[in-house]
Amino acid sequence: MEIKKHIFFAFAGVSLLLASCKKDVTNTTTSLPVVEAYLMGGNAILVKLYQQKALTDTATYGAPITGQQLSVSDGNNTVQLVETAKGIYTYSDIAFLTAGKTYTLIFKYLAETVTAKTTMPAKPADFATQYAVVYPKAPSGPNAIPDTINRFTWANPDSLNHVLVFKSSDGTEFPLGSRGNNTETDFELNTDRKSGYYVTTNVIPFYGHYKVILLRVNQEYIDLLKSNTGRSTSQNLVNTPTNVTNGFGIFTAMQADTLSFNVL
Amino acid sequence: MGCSAGAFAQQTQKILKKTNIDHFFTCSLDLLLDTVSANYHLNIVFERDSVSKFDIANHFFNESLKEVLEKVCRDNKLHYWIESDGTIYILQNTDDLARLKKLNTLRQSAAGAIKPILIEKPKAPPAHFMFTISGRITDQATGESLPSATVKIRNTTLSATANTDGSFTLFNIPADTCVVEVSYSGYQQEYLRLTPKNIDNPILIGMFKALNTLNEVTINGKKSGVMNTDTKKVGVLQLSPANLDKLPSLGEKDIMRAFQLMPGVGATNESSSGAYVRGGTPDQNLVVFDGFTVYQVDHLYGFFSAFNSNAVKDVQLYKGGFSSKYGGRLSSVTEINGKDGNKNDANFGVDLGLLSINLFAETPITDKSSLMVAFRRSYQGPFYDKIFKQFNTSTAVGGAPGRGAPPGGGPPGGGGFGEQTTPASHFYDADLRYTYHINRNNSLAWSLYSGSDKTDNSRQLELPSFISAGSGNIDITDYTKYGNLGSSLKWFSQWNKQLHSNTYITYSSYFNNRNRTTAGTAKDENGNQTNFSNGTVETNNLKDIGLKSEWEWQMDNKLKLLYGGFLSRQQINYDYIQNDTSKLINQHNTAILGGSYAELEIDPTNKLHLQPGARLTWFNPTGRVYAEPRFSASYELSDHYTLKAATGQFYQFMNEVTREDVVNGNRNFWVLSNNANIPVSSSRHIMGGVAYENNQFLIDVEGYYKTLSGLTQYTIRQSGFAPGSAGTIQEDFFQGTGRAKGIEILLQKKLGRYTGWLSYTLAEAQNKFSAYGNNYYPADQDIRHEFKAINMYHYYRWNFSAVFIFSTGHPYTAPLSTYTITAPDGTSSTSYNVSGKNAERLPDHHRLDLSATYDLLKINGDKTGSIGISLFNVYNHTNIWYREYQLQNNAAITTDVNYLGFTPNITFSLRWK
Repeated sequence: MEIKKHIFFAFAGVSLLLASCKKDVTNTTTSLPVVEAYLMGGNAILVKLYQQKALTDTATYGAPITGQQLSVSDGNNTVQLVETAKGIYTYSDIAFLTAGKTYTLIFKYLAETVTAKTTMPAKPADFATQYAVVYPKAPSGPNAIPDTINRFTWANPDSLNHVLVFKSSDGTEFPLGSRGNNTETDFELNTDRKSGYYVTTNVIPFYGHYKVILLRVNQEYIDLLKSNTGRSTSQNLVNTPTNVTNGFGIFTAMQADTLSFNVL
Repeated sequence: MGCSAGAFAQQTQKILKKTNIDHFFTCSLDLLLDTVSANYHLNIVFERDSVSKFDIANHFFNESLKEVLEKVCRDNKLHYWIESDGTIYILQNTDDLARLKKLNTLRQSAAGAIKPILIEKPKAPPAHFMFTISGRITDQATGESLPSATVKIRNTTLSATANTDGSFTLFNIPADTCVVEVSYSGYQQEYLRLTPKNIDNPILIGMFKALNTLNEVTINGKKSGVMNTDTKKVGVLQLSPANLDKLPSLGEKDIMRAFQLMPGVGATNESSSGAYVRGGTPDQNLVVFDGFTVYQVDHLYGFFSAFNSNAVKDVQLYKGGFSSKYGGRLSSVTEINGKDGNKNDANFGVDLGLLSINLFAETPITDKSSLMVAFRRSYQGPFYDKIFKQFNTSTAVGGAPGRGAPPGGGPPGGGGFGEQTTPASHFYDADLRYTYHINRNNSLAWSLYSGSDKTDNSRQLELPSFISAGSGNIDITDYTKYGNLGSSLKWFSQWNKQLHSNTYITYSSYFNNRNRTTAGTAKDENGNQTNFSNGTVETNNLKDIGLKSEWEWQMDNKLKLLYGGFLSRQQINYDYIQNDTSKLINQHNTAILGGSYAELEIDPTNKLHLQPGARLTWFNPTGRVYAEPRFSASYELSDHYTLKAATGQFYQFMNEVTREDVVNGNRNFWVLSNNANIPVSSSRHIMGGVAYENNQFLIDVEGYYKTLSGLTQYTIRQSGFAPGSAGTIQEDFFQGTGRAKGIEILLQKKLGRYTGWLSYTLAEAQNKFSAYGNNYYPADQDIRHEFKAINMYHYYRWNFSAVFIFSTGHPYTAPLSTYTITAPDGTSSTSYNVSGKNAERLPDHHRLDLSATYDLLKINGDKTGSIGISLFNVYNHTNIWYREYQLQNNAAITTDVNYLGFTPNITFSLRWK
């Protein structure tokens, strides 16, 4: 009996201890909105709002969120966005976006106030390509060291973030290499705060006429770019970075410069 | 040396060997035994009813009595057994011994019986009073010292426990006619009469093994189970590997797995043999083997521990609040002592299972030295492959490179060929221990351990012509090798009766290497040959060289001082090289660690034991001195009840970290704390408990509360790499705190045909890392309820066991929903909205393991081996290890990655002696 008493008291003590700090948090994050907005210097503001999707949903995008009152402030002036299509909110005065200013998106959705903030960078400078046209040979084997075919350069004394975007106008008709792992004609490359990028035959998957866009971007965009949810497990699963408070997605400003580059 | 009880057994053995019989017996066996007993003054005990049925008709021509006894026993399927008092028992079954012993006691009271002399009478009145004795307890057969044997002076309260070298000291012995009693689990009790002569020199007591039979407990507090808790100390578990074959196993008698059956040690991490002790992680558990630290404690993705139980004498696990003798880890200490090797006779053994072969040999080299060698190697049978596949993801499909990574990724080497071979893979470990007794008071022991796992998937590819315009071939190197090499030289010195020391020079080297490179030549259509070589080489190694000296000064029966010093140098190299040139990770760190400790063991009364201590460590990367006060105490409320408690401060100066590699499996590495992003972590423990013990049962209840700070989660995340272009490495250092609390209940039945224990743990382990929010969340190893039932049934030469394990599921992180956004280049990407860190629970984990073992016995009752069958996870319950999420067709697909299902195994074990 003596022992039973001991065990009982010990049990009771620890049960209390454990119970006292138990917290039940019901997760309400699945109703938060998804924001997609890239503020481009010289373009109208365009914000897309989506709902999240159920895990088994095979639709590409979530359902658009309509009928919201979105406003963007540059610190001094606040403008209201107009819903021009379902879930797409715009402000068409291109003069509103200027370099160096910080823009804040704010709207109320369900019970929460959703906010996001971004600063417009300056336009990239001295964007240049070594060659306007290259005539590369296909790599000699799948494991051969690929030839460097071109070099893009730009001014970057402050080691700012830049991204190179390639857009092909010719599609997938003429594959360049035999690796074939990359099937996208349009793709982007993080340049790791450098002031140039060497393009190899592995980078360019198809012959064609490319528009190469240099984007000067903010860190929140790089964070998103670097994240990888392609294959995750319950041991390493983390939320994709977002700069939206009470929401998901991205609201970021960037400036662009464009060149053309042909791989023939 | 005095005349201990064991001397009578030696006397009997001598008579058996030296006496020659030249006689023709035609009688029943009982009459033969009577004749032998009367003629040679041997006390032979047997049951006349059954033995009289056997008839003997044999002519012995000058054969030794031993041969005669063996022949008649063999012919009639009997065994004989010599007890330490010299009595010979004739047994039909080993379990008959207890009954025959009672019979013997009865018979001895009868007139005219040949009585064994248990202990000689004092020859003279006492001449010396209040003096000190010291000595050593060993196994009579092998000369192996017996740590933690109990030494008592009969009819007094004086008692001592032998230390790791088997030595003991007792003070204030009332007279030189007293009797010393020695007892130790699995051995027969020994007695020795003190004489004026034998008290001057160290007393050597050789103990005889008990017959492998029913667990017998002759004195209170003595235990003979597979595993024991120390009721006098908080959080101490002790294990003797000799009895491990009574538990179900997966082919290897596994000391670390055995500890997982006790309360407070997590049992449901099938992918780690490391100890999850009281909410701690395996890297917070210090593993010391013969004085050196072992950094890689398991084989085959954690399924088996790296220690060969044949080479191990005993193991202690301190579940927290441990002595100031140990330091450098936050949670627990596992101390493993290797076998010295047989000092008297050569002995060989082999264990065979479906997984591995295990050989060992021990032999005296000279009269002063002995050698023990053990070697274990796996073979790649279906059983090995089954486990390998369960825990290895290297054959998985190539993963998608990170967004924004250069396109054309995929794992190097295998890209595009779809060539999948079963990789050659094995593990091995080897132990060597050489002991040299310089003189009576000094000995040297050299211990060497080497263990590694190697997976080799290297192969050569002939390039098909449709792939390239020319031709060529490719050598793909793809191997993974990890393990540990450790060695120590120990010098034991008994300076005088009260003072002895152990001084170690230690070396331990951990390595974890992976090489995945593709090299070869390619010819283009013009016949121009180009060489290429690309891929990744990853090497992590840790070298730990140390010197330490540990002293024990038994000042008197009430006071013992333990003190010592240590100095070590750790060097960690971590290189991650891509395409021969670009170094993604290039870390070379060195730390020097030095310090000292002191601890007092105070026994003011027989009931109270106090143990205050302190440890000081200087760690040169931070340039600071870390002080760790420790305290533990116990109080015997009565003969049956003991109260115990411990507290202390603990620091840890290195961490095991994970480099995430979703494609090829995560890799673990050791890193040193520094002044920058990896702090020195610290922990505080408070633990207490109460134990009740009688001859049959033991009940032990312990509770603990721990706080942890300066925890590090260091993850290295790699985003896409392709031949010809460097990938990027993102290193994340997260710092946080933790806390753990729980209560453990153990109910053990120690005696009888049925033995075993029930264990229940109610616990909580939480972490707080700002990277995951501002609240405490369940740590990865958090288990709320854990119940374990270990049942063993002994039936003559059979041992049956059933182990049932139930635990609450592990916490995990789950996706709640997904969302897709489009990047400015027009490509869309899908992300998960993730639940709180570890906010979900996997289903409960449970399984039943069964085993049956049949003992192989020699005619003289010695065990020579066993044959066993083990059934793992009998009812094939699906226990989930973790979940994998993949996006397919915009939807998230969840796949469970499971632990092993039903797995049978057979084992065979044989000893030559």
